[in-house]
Amino acid sequence: MINFALILLASAQIVQPVAVKTAELEMKFMARTPDQMVSFYEARGFPKAMLDVLKQQCFITVGIQNNSDDKIWLDLSTWTFSSAGKPIKREHRDYWKKRWQEMNIPLSKQSTFRWTLIPETLDYLPGEHEGGNIVLPFTKEPISVTATFATGENKQGEKISITIDKLFCAENPQ
Amino acid sequence: MRHTMRSSAKVFKLFIVVLTFCISESAMANETASDIKVPFGIRHYDIGAAQNFTLNDIDGEAFELNKSKGHWIFLHFWASWCGPCKEEMPMIQKLSDVMKDEKFQVVMINTAEDEDTIFEFLSAIDIKLNSLMDVDGLVTEAWKPRGLPTTFLINPEGEVKYQAIGGREWDKLLYTDFLKQLIHKAN
Repeated sequence: MINFALILLASAQIVQPVAVKTAELEMKFMARTPDQMVSFYEARGFPKAMLDVLKQQCFITVGIQNNSDDKIWLDLSTWTFSSAGKPIKREHRDYWKKRWQEMNIPLSKQSTFRWTLIPETLDYLPGEHEGGNIVLPFTKEPISVTATFATGENKQGEKISITIDKLFCAENPQ
Repeated sequence: MRHTMRSSAKVFKLFIVVLTFCISESAMANETASDIKVPFGIRHYDIGAAQNFTLNDIDGEAFELNKSKGHWIFLHFWASWCGPCKEEMPMIQKLSDVMKDEKFQVVMINTAEDEDTIFEFLSAIDIKLNSLMDVDGLVTEAWKPRGLPTTFLINPEGEVKYQAIGGREWDKLLYTDFLKQLIHKAN
């Protein structure tokens, strides 16, 4: 059995947070503009070379709250992202680690960047809220996200699948 | 004969008193940390010996975890950019104040920020607690907190026993009572 929540959003451009609530969990998606992200990281002393890379990305802050009495398992590798009918590749935190290493970015900045990403995997305990950023290649087209979660102590419970259509990367105001 | 009976009764009473005392002491000794009710937001996290580290605080004093055995350690990972950390910090300060006479120590570790950022942050929210500086973020990476903030509770033998999930209202009785029970019960 799959508990399937399909969320169709009619708005053309998402600038407000998109919230989804099921009996088991709540998810909130907030697209961040390049200016917002650059300001945040610049204030933490990130070097220009890093900022130049980051401002070209599409940052979406995701918050997840487990409202059930059971464990809910996040595994980002099971999430799918697509746009204009084609899959979008979400870069794994290992990709970023390698990229920053190649650019000789100071360890402290690499670490801060990693802590602003959502974990790749996490067992959400009842009542737990955790979140972080997902980084996608920038696109002006609407993005569809399907987030799948295993449930239960041994991942044997009902799967939860949430699809959000028409999520947009945020652009800087003109 | 009556005297003997009275003596026997006295001995019997004494025996019962001693027995009751022994049973009660034994029960206390057997009431271990694992019997303590764990409040919401804290989970058992029995991963064995705490990973040692040595870090400097903002005054340049070195702190080595392995040299701090003999009392419970409240090991807290935080960063100034983390909203929940800012909310939680005053409650950790109050907790530290309330627990100042207990065998308990708050050890805060800032993740990958510089001294000025840490100092300004703590001053701005009137926090007297010092913080260790994990300048490169490597200690934080090694400890693998679930996110920031995260708190681990380490027993006097240097073993990680509990993990707090996200920010908690540490100054509330729910948590201070829990921590006092941990300190005063056998492990």
